[in-house]
Amino acid sequence: MKKDKILFVIPAYNEAMNIEKVLKEIKKDVKTADIVVVNDCSGDNTREIVENNGIKCITMPFNVGYAMAVQTGIKYAYENNYDYVIQFDADGQHIAKEAEKMYKTMKEDNVDIVIGSRYLEDVGYPCPFFRKVGTNIFKKIIKIFCKKTIADPLSGFQCLNRKVIEKYSKMGNYPEFPDANLIIEMLLSGYKIKEVPTKMRIREFGESMHGGIIKPIKYMINIFYTIVFILLKYSGKKKSEVVKDEK
Amino acid sequence: MKSSYFVFIAIAVIIIIFIASSVKKSRLSIKESFWWMIGSIFMLILSIFPGLVNWAAKIFGVSYPPTILFVFCILFLIYMVFRNSKRIAVQQEKIVELSQQIAILKNKDK
Repeated sequence: MKKDKILFVIPAYNEAMNIEKVLKEIKKDVKTADIVVVNDCSGDNTREIVENNGIKCITMPFNVGYAMAVQTGIKYAYENNYDYVIQFDADGQHIAKEAEKMYKTMKEDNVDIVIGSRYLEDVGYPCPFFRKVGTNIFKKIIKIFCKKTIADPLSGFQCLNRKVIEKYSKMGNYPEFPDANLIIEMLLSGYKIKEVPTKMRIREFGESMHGGIIKPIKYMINIFYTIVFILLKYSGKKKSEVVKDEK
Repeated sequence: MKSSYFVFIAIAVIIIIFIASSVKKSRLSIKESFWWMIGSIFMLILSIFPGLVNWAAKIFGVSYPPTILFVFCILFLIYMVFRNSKRIAVQQEKIVELSQQIAILKNKDK
């Protein structure tokens, strides 16, 4: 049997303080997988650190933002014929060992996307106020429109199969914030999504991209607005029709 | 009720539908459509409640109420045009950067 090719896609922006630890952890715990770091034009020495560790580093010519960096990694996976992609954060929040659990679930349950969830079971992850409100609102919206419970729609820790890799890499309008809106779009398009409870750490150094007060508000408005259009796009279309369309 | 009342509501609704369908057909990105949508919803609100213009005129002490409308429209359009100029400038820089990098890559092996 052919061995599956797995790729860790790690978008990184000024993560020199965290990235080395993350890479060492993946190399130690998931020996069979390849890693690609998409360096989003960092101002620090992220690139040097990654390359010194013998890891493939794609450096963007200018800052393209988190989502486009992720998509770049997914495109790389598509072009290099990877079977599975694991989206992994560079800040050390995600635990490499948990990725194996997600990969196993994907194989056993035959789903397209596996989300590493902090809130499916109580794994002891502290939840800031804004995140809690956001998570609950998006959870409700997904429940209403997709009839499915996703406990952690804001998780960036995901495992994607070849079908999803192809879809994401060819998406011209890959969203700026690929969170709940993308999950809704994928569910409405007929893709199968499953959650797996995973442990996560709190970031050690640097700032989260959703820090402050204005940014989360902007983020929420953006996601809501996008969801309205996604619902509009898929209104009146049955799931089977959508899947047929894409073929 | 004046017939112009319904005409303005119809115009606002048509603009909203036009923006939404452009986004649906991927001719306009969701992000770019945001401020146009806000502007047209604002227009719809004003056409449903024309009294708001008189009320705003009173607050700002303007004797001829439609002036308020013109001022808001012009400010909104200035904002949109300025925003576009800013984007064009940024994109111009990015295109130059990309062309330079592609040129270097293409001539690497020669």
